[in-house]
Amino acid sequence: MAVLARNSIRELRHRPLRTALTVAGVAISTAMLADMLMLGGGIQQSFGELLESRGYELRVAPKGTLPFDTEATIPGWTALQERIEGVGGVERVAPVLAMSVSVEVEADGPEGSRGARRTLAVGLDPENRGLYVLVRGDGPGAGEVLVDSRLGEAMGVGPDDRLRVATASGFDAWGRTASVRVSGTGDFVFATVRDMPVALPLDDLQALSGLDDQVSFAMIRVGDGYDAEAVRAGIAAVAGRVEVVTLAGISDRLDERLSYFRQVAVILGSVSLFVAALLIGTITAVSVSERLGIIAAVRAIGVGRRRIVADLTLESVVLCLVGGGIGIGLAVVVAGYLESILSGLPGLPAAVRFFVLRPGSLMTAYGLVILSGAVAGLVPSLRATRLEVTSLLHREEP
Amino acid sequence: MRGAGNPIVVARRVTRDYWKGRARVRALRGADLTVEKGDFLAVTGPSGSGKSTLLHLLGGVDVATSGGVHFLGRDLARLTVEERAALRLREVGLVFQRFHLLPMLTAIENVELPLAAARVGRRERRARAAAVLERVGLADRLRHRPSELSGGQCQRVAIARALANDPALVLADEPTGELDRATSRRVLALFQELNADGTTLVVATHDLDLAAGAHRRIEVVDGTTRP
Repeated sequence: MAVLARNSIRELRHRPLRTALTVAGVAISTAMLADMLMLGGGIQQSFGELLESRGYELRVAPKGTLPFDTEATIPGWTALQERIEGVGGVERVAPVLAMSVSVEVEADGPEGSRGARRTLAVGLDPENRGLYVLVRGDGPGAGEVLVDSRLGEAMGVGPDDRLRVATASGFDAWGRTASVRVSGTGDFVFATVRDMPVALPLDDLQALSGLDDQVSFAMIRVGDGYDAEAVRAGIAAVAGRVEVVTLAGISDRLDERLSYFRQVAVILGSVSLFVAALLIGTITAVSVSERLGIIAAVRAIGVGRRRIVADLTLESVVLCLVGGGIGIGLAVVVAGYLESILSGLPGLPAAVRFFVLRPGSLMTAYGLVILSGAVAGLVPSLRATRLEVTSLLHREEP
Repeated sequence: MRGAGNPIVVARRVTRDYWKGRARVRALRGADLTVEKGDFLAVTGPSGSGKSTLLHLLGGVDVATSGGVHFLGRDLARLTVEERAALRLREVGLVFQRFHLLPMLTAIENVELPLAAARVGRRERRARAAAVLERVGLADRLRHRPSELSGGQCQRVAIARALANDPALVLADEPTGELDRATSRRVLALFQELNADGTTLVVATHDLDLAAGAHRRIEVVDGTTRP
């Protein structure tokens, strides 16, 4: 290390409180910046991964909606499904009907678990397990229901227990009711934190709801070697007034809806970076002004201006390196805390993560803070080396 | 060796103006001076007479408003800021009244500073710094920081730093200004010893004992030099 730089680093150790406060400030700014960078792209990335994990590349939904968006349905599904299956590249079509239902344990269920609950029901092809991961038992066959594992725990039911399902908001209201056997429990991958859905065979739910030959949306699997976008265009051409979207299209639409988060992230991230630069610039300015006499003497001795500036700037960089490093660790902790708050946001699957820990985001935040600190430290250092040496030699005390 | 015809620095009709707000202040009004190799010259005069200004001009720390300063034959006015810095680094040793040692560095690290700036290798600069500190009588204080040294010891470290690159000329501006009488005498003795070893010295001072100990003396009065 250069001799002058050594002095700068020791100056930092010599003023532990000032150094600690500066490092803390830089750490907080870095953490905020890193979290905002992660928030900016985290939802889209995790939602995209979630969609891709189910193995269906396309979705067909009522015009202008996305799956689980509204209770709108697609009528005349059987004929539409035949047309879709006729499109080249369509390997499998999995229709889904989603609607609100009430469920309650039949009288012979466990004590204390008989209260009716309002929840989401999905009707699906028994072969289609794209919406849930089985935990216990089996998928729902005719006259059966698969219960969300959390709902099962809450109601005290498991495989072979019996539930009553009603389409109305309660069993006392006017509506259709069916008695079903619990085939198993599962985790619904697109469920929100508050949703604890149940799954029935599509035919059963259609019959229960009276929505014959109607579905809420369908998931389409594209055969190997086919381009999802080309298949989407083919379906759109034969499907008429429905929305056909790829997973990327769903992600993009979600991204549009969440642009508010991104804007907030950009603003807060920029403010964090600015605050870090301001802090480093102020501390360097104070530190340099305290050493003007020394700087003048070093210049008088013949040490080059660039070398002095580099060594003074190193002090800022070291503060950013240390503060930024701590900040990255802090960012991970804060992201976890914020995630626990934001995961309850209505309308988003619980499996979607707001903060996806991405090394790229962390390194970008770290790099930006170091760069801004270096620039902020450069300004007072440059100014100090441009002052008149002769007057400073007599004005300043070492 | 000391004598005519071997000048290190020659100043002719040098003036230096400063601006204080809108007022122009003339610190030097046509000073003349020649420093020969091996000289030990004392520059005396009252406060504000222009002693420090003259030293800064001789060493290329500052540039004359008019007149010429030639250092080892080079016109300092024609050199850029960085060229003058490079010249000072290798050919001029500066000693300040307030020492201006880097407080967080040890004595040996302070002396290493000009050597490092001159890109002397780590091992060699450490050896040379230790040797020059030994020469000024601080062989047992190499690892001490300025705060752990007396004023006289700090000034000797500063002198060692000035000598580190074996300069052609050492300029000392009020080197005993912050020291007590006994310590000032030791600094004078050190200067005399260094001069006897061939170091060329110009010392600006109020200290009559120090001035008397030099081989030659000029006085600066109202910005002009008098033999």
